[in-house]
Amino acid sequence: MEITPKIKFLGLTFDVTVMIGTLVTAILVLILVLAATRGRSMRPRGMQNVMEMVLEFIQGITQMMLPPKKAAKYLSFAVTVFLFVFIANELGVIVMVTSEVHKPIAWLGLTKQALESAKGEVSWFKSPTSDINVTVAMAFAIALYAHFAGLFKSPRRYFGHYFKPYALMFPLHIIDELAKPTTHAARLWANIFAGEVLILILRNGLPYLTGIPLMAWIGFSLFVGAIQAYIFTVLAMVYISQKIADEDH
Amino acid sequence: MDLSVIAGGIMIAFGALAAGIGNGVLFSRYLEGIARQPEARGTLFGQAMVTLGLVEALPIISIAFGLLVLFGVI
Repeated sequence: MEITPKIKFLGLTFDVTVMIGTLVTAILVLILVLAATRGRSMRPRGMQNVMEMVLEFIQGITQMMLPPKKAAKYLSFAVTVFLFVFIANELGVIVMVTSEVHKPIAWLGLTKQALESAKGEVSWFKSPTSDINVTVAMAFAIALYAHFAGLFKSPRRYFGHYFKPYALMFPLHIIDELAKPTTHAARLWANIFAGEVLILILRNGLPYLTGIPLMAWIGFSLFVGAIQAYIFTVLAMVYISQKIADEDH
Repeated sequence: MDLSVIAGGIMIAFGALAAGIGNGVLFSRYLEGIARQPEARGTLFGQAMVTLGLVEALPIISIAFGLLVLFGVI
């Protein structure tokens, strides 16, 4: 496997490829949305059509998952999450930037041993969602938001729900609340990570693996990236709606 | 021989096995649904694909950790 440049700062290790990937994805999303909403007209053309399609698609999710009054409030958040995850997933499949480094670069963590084990091949770009730290941060941020939204809506109901239907269920509720963001993060990360590793294996593998199998797997990876972006958004909305839903819902 | 190769192989193999069973159940029910009600094909296809994404997640988590073990990252 290729190695990635890492920076050590204040005892923490920062992966440079992930930072580059996140930045490029965020800028691409910004450019895409700005380009699509320039010169809006009642008769949409070109990019505006695409963006309206995405918006209506996400609107379908929010209206399905959330109570009607809240659906409009969370639409922009859901669209942001969906666009970021979708662009990140697809970029990781399409774009690949590697360079050959022959001299060790100390401050990037490219030591002589690491370079020799990877034959000097250093990766400079990867999908941010194929790094578990990014997805865990996203999933736990969403979980934290959901908890606080529930707490501020009605503290009594929020704490009461931990002891329903019996007080003995309390440990199960705690496990449930911890398992939700963990699987939410691992689901996205594992799909994208396994996809990228398999692309690398097929690319570096035997000659008969690099032709049709690689193309087929890249096609499947694009499909999986789209599906996982959709599922990530749906689950985020489900977890938020579980906390803010009304009793009679 | 390094035992992590065997460990990674087992993790990937069982992940594939579980995914095969899960997808088999999912798509057999999907085909049954189409056979019973051919006009519901469009909506059922979307639902089946979403469920495919949900089903596929747990085996692929196992496969991702299997790959990490195989390459000696953890």
